Amino acid sequence: MKTGSLLSNEKLIPCVWTIGLAVLWEGVAFILAEIVQDQMAGMRLPYLHDILITLFQNAGFLAGASATTLSRAILGFAAGAAAGFLLAIAMSLYSRLEKALYPYLLLSQMIPILGLAPVVVSIVRKAQIGPYTIAASDITRVIIAGYITFFPVATNMLSGLKSVDRDKRNLMYSYAAGKPTVYAKLMIPFCVPYLFTGMKIAAPLAITASILVDSLGAAEGIGYNLTYALYTGAYPVFWASVLCSAALGIAGYSVAAFFERICLPWKTAVQKKEAGV
Amino acid sequence: MNSITERISSKDEIVMDKVGMTYQADGGKSVAALSEVSFSIHKGEFISLLGPSGCGKTTLLRIIADLIKPTTGKVLVAGDTPESARKSRKYGIVFQNSVLYDWRSVRANIQLPLEVMRVPKPEWKERIDSMLELVGLSDFGSHYPHQLSGGMQQRVSIARALAINPEILLMDEPFSALDEFTREKLHEDLLRIWRRTNKTIVFVTHNIAESAYLSDRVCVLSPHPGRLSAVVDVDLPRPRTAELRHKPEFHALVAKIRNSFEGV
Repeated sequence: MKTGSLLSNEKLIPCVWTIGLAVLWEGVAFILAEIVQDQMAGMRLPYLHDILITLFQNAGFLAGASATTLSRAILGFAAGAAAGFLLAIAMSLYSRLEKALYPYLLLSQMIPILGLAPVVVSIVRKAQIGPYTIAASDITRVIIAGYITFFPVATNMLSGLKSVDRDKRNLMYSYAAGKPTVYAKLMIPFCVPYLFTGMKIAAPLAITASILVDSLGAAEGIGYNLTYALYTGAYPVFWASVLCSAALGIAGYSVAAFFERICLPWKTAVQKKEAGV
Repeated sequence: MNSITERISSKDEIVMDKVGMTYQADGGKSVAALSEVSFSIHKGEFISLLGPSGCGKTTLLRIIADLIKPTTGKVLVAGDTPESARKSRKYGIVFQNSVLYDWRSVRANIQLPLEVMRVPKPEWKERIDSMLELVGLSDFGSHYPHQLSGGMQQRVSIARALAINPEILLMDEPFSALDEFTREKLHEDLLRIWRRTNKTIVFVTHNIAESAYLSDRVCVLSPHPGRLSAVVDVDLPRPRTAELRHKPEFHALVAKIRNSFEGV
């Protein structure tokens, strides 16, 4: 069947890419180590199979570090996405608020996260909530991840709210619907695809932010591993951590895309139709 | 001169009195989209607003629907303003593009006005079922709009408009984006639905044959400025069937409507 072969082709492409990349990696590593006989080959580009072996040997340790980084990123992502969502709605309700706030929002995105993170690190102190102590680095990770999530979610949501076509709103108007009803039944459902676009951009960024804060004075996490392994010359551990952080970023995007497919059954079908599948 | 309320006869559902609409164009120039339209629509009547683009037919429909306010003149709907008619939910509107909510299934789209207007929940299922049956889409309730053809989407749009049982159905070039075959099929269906529901229908179109086939009376609007240039009575017998399209009296009527345009 034609559709069958198309489908299997689609699944085949990433497989071919992955295998190709692995072969290329091993090849270049071989050239570095054996042909060029680079003394630093183990640091510059160790064999992929060495890294994978390290990955499995340190699986528990790396998984723990990944979990630390990921959980903070998720908390920050959730907080940032919620704030971006609510602010976009507030801005669409009050155009004055949008006019007043938007330049600052844009400005906030011009401050490099690399410059901002140390400032936040130096300001934030550990917090005591009841019997629990929350480490300053945890709070920082959540803040930075939230900060970086907020903007793409807010701007995408706002552009969605602005693209609701006139007759869709006229229909609600003809029903004499109040503002809360219009938002609940039209504006917000209409914007869900825009919201997901923002979240798919933000998810890997939030993980990057969390990794960055790890390396700026936290005592655990993937980012900490990266820095520490690099200083101590544990290159296989360093490279294994790099693979872990890449996997986290891809996982972040995939989870957002997965929820998008679940939440937007009509949209997925439309895309398939448009792609001619 | 009689006041507008005195001239209203009891059978009048919508009364327009010197309705005008002027837009401020760029550079301070004002453009008259509609000028001094006076006309009455009876209860249960099928009226077409016919004219070329720029004649103000859609503007007039939107004024009746209270989507825009006229700059001059007055409209009364059942003796009250369009705003209070809209707020008391007298209108069902069918737009040119079906304006279905993509994230809702066909059933959920028809359910939308029931939710918004707080129709008691136990009534929903029966009402939606009967609407689906009315427009011939009983098997498509769980489909999403994008899975339907243009004609089917417009049927859903009609079902949604009728779900709250409004007194007046306002249709803004509802079939203009459809192919000829689908359009003619929908004409039959619309007439059948109209017979069963006895709604007052105001139907905007630029298609002369369409207005002749469907209407009791055709309001002919001419452009620059948009004005009512004639009202043509359609004295073709009902129920009308597809064969009517081939009959000489139908063609004579189409010619009569065509000749009533001014300055086109």
